[in-house]
Amino acid sequence: MNWVDAFIQGLLLGGLYAQYAIGMALMFGVMRIVNIAHGDLVILLGLIGIAIAVLTGAGSGLVALLLMPLGAVIGWLLQRGILNRVVGPDPLPSLIATFGLSIALQNLMLQIWSADPRSLSAGPIATMSIPVGPIYVGVLPAIIFASALVLTAGLHGLLRHTSFGRALRATAADRDAAALSGVDTKGAYAVATAIAVAILGLAAVFQATRTTIAPADGGSQLLFAFESVIIGGMGSIWGAFFGAMVLGVAQVVGSRMDPGWGILLGHIVFLVVLATRPQGLAASARGAA
Amino acid sequence: MSRPILDVRGASGGYGDFQALFSVDFEIAPGEVVALIGANGAGKSTLLNTVAGLLPVREGTISFDGEDISNVPPHKLVRKGLALVPEGRRLFAGMSVEDNLLVACDHASMPAAPEARWTVERLFVLFPVLAEKRRTPADRLSGGQQQLVAIGRALMTQPRLLLCDELSLGLAPKVIREIYDRLPEIRSTGTAIVLVEQDIALAAASADRIYCLLEGRITLAGKASEISREQIAAAYFGVNK
Repeated sequence: MNWVDAFIQGLLLGGLYAQYAIGMALMFGVMRIVNIAHGDLVILLGLIGIAIAVLTGAGSGLVALLLMPLGAVIGWLLQRGILNRVVGPDPLPSLIATFGLSIALQNLMLQIWSADPRSLSAGPIATMSIPVGPIYVGVLPAIIFASALVLTAGLHGLLRHTSFGRALRATAADRDAAALSGVDTKGAYAVATAIAVAILGLAAVFQATRTTIAPADGGSQLLFAFESVIIGGMGSIWGAFFGAMVLGVAQVVGSRMDPGWGILLGHIVFLVVLATRPQGLAASARGAA
Repeated sequence: MSRPILDVRGASGGYGDFQALFSVDFEIAPGEVVALIGANGAGKSTLLNTVAGLLPVREGTISFDGEDISNVPPHKLVRKGLALVPEGRRLFAGMSVEDNLLVACDHASMPAAPEARWTVERLFVLFPVLAEKRRTPADRLSGGQQQLVAIGRALMTQPRLLLCDELSLGLAPKVIREIYDRLPEIRSTGTAIVLVEQDIALAAASADRIYCLLEGRITLAGKASEISREQIAAAYFGVNK
């Protein structure tokens, strides 16, 4: 029963990673950009959220409602101001630009907030749990998981069933041909990044409530997002969700075997997938969705 | 001749550091069909891609319907009524035939006259084979069918000028004939058509006028019915008698 519990807790942890991963999968699928600053954006939004909560006394739900549009604006500006200048068939310029951005953001956050770890209070919900048979499921992790499920389904539906999603898929398949069909490809890119970073706004609140955050924490968040995307299959939205579940379960099962093995087992699963199935576990679902 | 729908004056351009066009003059009237011929590397595709906004205009001007469009991005030109069927078809892989067409429909500006309007249903009348394949991923079609989708996608943008880059590339003669047989119907809506074509006989038979490009310069321009094979040969290969 201990292992069933570990599996359930792993899925719930995967819900958080999924929120990092689907935005990364979207950006990679549409633009072939690997956003190295992805984790730092989570931390930046989290620290802004904590500052808002401290200054105004807003609850974490209200902070989440504010951070999502803020994330959208940051993502839109990031794409319009920086990434649209470096996006192209060669992946290296965008990799270097986002790497530089990551370093700049980390140092900016250190300047503003110092290296102290901070967290956001979720109120009584943080410790509430629901008994499911012999297992206890935390209310907050369940909310995180449900949010991930809704966001993944919503993003998938947006890509599959709307004219904007169709334009985005066309742009992913062939940028010039999309432009020749009337798609403003740079505008579509800006909206895609805005969506990806808006999701991080919600993820940042969850990350800051379930643990502490500090300016240098972005790297490990990026790594979990990246591992989820690779395990699932690059560019696939449901694949990224699935990859996040695999990673979450591997980490929790690992930490039950030995408290030091959690992160390690996640890395090992990632490496095994990369070595044996580099196209990802969910690779049959091709394309941007 | 009425005011040209497209007027290229002294245009120079190219890609990267390479200059492929040298002071090109080119015009086409509304409803006209013009063939652009020339050897490989003469600059035909570069000219079309420059007109469509994919490549920058370095010198000279390009006007569409009297308006300067030099260096206007391609998606804005599409809304003005300028469409390019790109070389190699460039369909959206992994998307169905219908989705390929709908991407263009979503971003088109509709002409006022309903009889000039292209819809997916009207396209399926023009190319019936596509109706059966509407749910098939575009990359699973034959080369000829893919070319029909590429033409159809361009038509969905409601073009007043349709630039066609090597429609016949890699296709069987029978398929090529079927495609060219459909051009008069497209033209009947008032759309002007520029055909880049390797097959000179086919180009001469389909077009009102012919331009010949040689090493980035226009070496011949005239009515298709008045140009002799010798003139074309001289302009095409650059041999002086």
